[in-house]
Amino acid sequence: MRKIYLVLILIFVAIGTHAQGKKRSSNFNTTKTKAGANEFIQQQWWLGFKAGVNLAQADPLKRYTILTPTNYSSSQTDKKYDAFKEIGIQTTVEISYYYKGFYFSTQPSYISSTFTYSNELKKLNPQNPDETFTQTYKQSQKVEYADFPFIIKYDITGSKLRPFVQVGIFYSLLLNAVKTVNDSRVDQASGATNTLTDIRGVKDMFSNYWGLMGGVGASYQLGNVRLMLDASYRQSMSNMVNPENRFSENSFSSIGVVEDDLNLKNVTISAGVLFPMRYLSSSFKSNDR
Amino acid sequence: MKKPLLISLLVAFAFSCAKNSDEATDKANFVRIYDNEKFSASFYPIDIKQTPDGGFLILGERKLADSTAQARDLSAPNFSGTYILKVDQFGAFVSQQELGADKVNPIGPLLEANSKYYFFAMKPDTQTQLLEMDADGTITKTSSVGGSYPAAAFIDDGNFLLLRYDNFSKQSVVSIVSPTGAVSKSKGFSVGAGDGVEGPIIKHFLRTGRQFPFLVGKVANNQYFFNGFYNYTFSLVFTDLTGDTPQGVVQGQQTDGGFSSAMLLDGNRFAASLFNFNDNYFLPSITLNTSSTTGSITKLDGNPTLELAANATIKIIAATVNSKETLLYGTTTRNKQIVIYGYDKATGKFLGSRYLGFSNPFEIAAMTTTIDGGLAVCGTTYVAGRFPRICLFKISKDELAKSFK
Repeated sequence: MRKIYLVLILIFVAIGTHAQGKKRSSNFNTTKTKAGANEFIQQQWWLGFKAGVNLAQADPLKRYTILTPTNYSSSQTDKKYDAFKEIGIQTTVEISYYYKGFYFSTQPSYISSTFTYSNELKKLNPQNPDETFTQTYKQSQKVEYADFPFIIKYDITGSKLRPFVQVGIFYSLLLNAVKTVNDSRVDQASGATNTLTDIRGVKDMFSNYWGLMGGVGASYQLGNVRLMLDASYRQSMSNMVNPENRFSENSFSSIGVVEDDLNLKNVTISAGVLFPMRYLSSSFKSNDR
Repeated sequence: MKKPLLISLLVAFAFSCAKNSDEATDKANFVRIYDNEKFSASFYPIDIKQTPDGGFLILGERKLADSTAQARDLSAPNFSGTYILKVDQFGAFVSQQELGADKVNPIGPLLEANSKYYFFAMKPDTQTQLLEMDADGTITKTSSVGGSYPAAAFIDDGNFLLLRYDNFSKQSVVSIVSPTGAVSKSKGFSVGAGDGVEGPIIKHFLRTGRQFPFLVGKVANNQYFFNGFYNYTFSLVFTDLTGDTPQGVVQGQQTDGGFSSAMLLDGNRFAASLFNFNDNYFLPSITLNTSSTTGSITKLDGNPTLELAANATIKIIAATVNSKETLLYGTTTRNKQIVIYGYDKATGKFLGSRYLGFSNPFEIAAMTTTIDGGLAVCGTTYVAGRFPRICLFKISKDELAKSFK
């Protein structure tokens, strides 16, 4: 899936760059039309492609546990979520309508994120320290979504290098989810140590969600195309876990593994290129405002 | 005008598809494992009942020995202790009672009468006690019933039927016991002379040998049955509690065969299961002759259930699933999963199955239908493959309907 996106991006970049480089007849967009050019350029459609990496962190909205303590604190069963630890990827198609410095943009994306967390279980005998057992679960949860955002972007300046800010709302459609559980056990009484790793598809345990995003970036005019680099912070505003299927994965619930209700946070960094959709001659640069 | 409206509706629909948890969902389906951090602790559930607050009361056993050395010391009887667990409607822990060594060997089922919950246990000297508790699991009364080794119980019109083993007279004794512990009627039947018969029975109570599926129940007015030892054999015995000899007997095969469960459906028709030299057979609809003393399990046809553990514990309850009267057989597989089989109550036709548990071992203890039309399944799991703990699966009405069509 990722390879297809990358190939498509490269093809479009090649075609776009080639098209923009073609010479046009001299009577196209002549001085006769130049007077209305500024007005013309104040509206523009842009098509772009970008790709990049992201870091993810999950925050529990509501905690759930299968292992229910009867003689120790329930907080000991809480999962500890790692902050922005694993790298994921995303690829995006950008379609933007430009009007007087503002872009009204939709940027459908494929985004793959991985967040990690762990918890620990202990068994003790205060009278005999040898009777100690420790079990550690380390979990890596990869989720793949198709994002459908609506973004408003504003160019801060109209120069060749254009910094911009952007805010948006997005809806994320679940494509796939895979969980890796590393279960490490140390039994001091018997001297046994085992490590078990279980990897399973857990798509049913997750669901679609929506969220808000904001970011900054800059584009650089190169001929009639713009090279672009942006960074965004995305925050889901609804639970990404499917509560109806929380306990349905028998293999995980049987060993006490269950998802909390989760918010997903992502920091994304993407680089790409934007092409103007209306043809412009060399005398009407797309960076004119 | 129509387009923006349509787009707005589509956007609203898309965003409404995001799912948030709610109380109803959290109550409908859950899995819980009640964990104690003590290395040497062991808990085994016996029965579960839903209380009026939507929570659950679980009666269980616990290992009394505090150390492995103590557990190995067999110089004195080492009966199981009594454990009572109260959880709320979400399965969250509420309270637990670890009763002292003066109330051992509790037996199920939990008997509900007059808004109280009762169960039989015994003193360390093997004398039977009746314990009363409220819906929070607090013991409110203990009555001395007398007689040794309680083995099985049943609720009958506000009173309780009790099957026990009398080690002085070497008899299986069926009694009618009131909620105050008074015995109104009682009849004993010889298990046979000699230590050869008694040995396996005592080992059952000490949990050092095979666990027998003792049962007691009622067929019709003034006819009762018990599943226990009679005349050297583990048999299903019918009695009016008056005659010195049984009215009917379906013989097992000494300690190697017999009924592993039996639930009266109507008339003389039962839903039952058999064990026979480690094999298991289901009989979702079998009519038994309750007035013949020459019956035998070898004359009964049943469905062989090859995936079950040897001499598996089998629990049968009736439930309404998909608006259909359904029999649910809960048991344990060879690979230590809990499995529930569904059968049409009227015809005995197989409707489906559902497996619970994976990886760590799971063993069935009890099932109960719930107020919301779902099912609660209680069992033992071995946390990290080692530590026996009580587990509870709550399955919603919708999930049940998907499994048993």
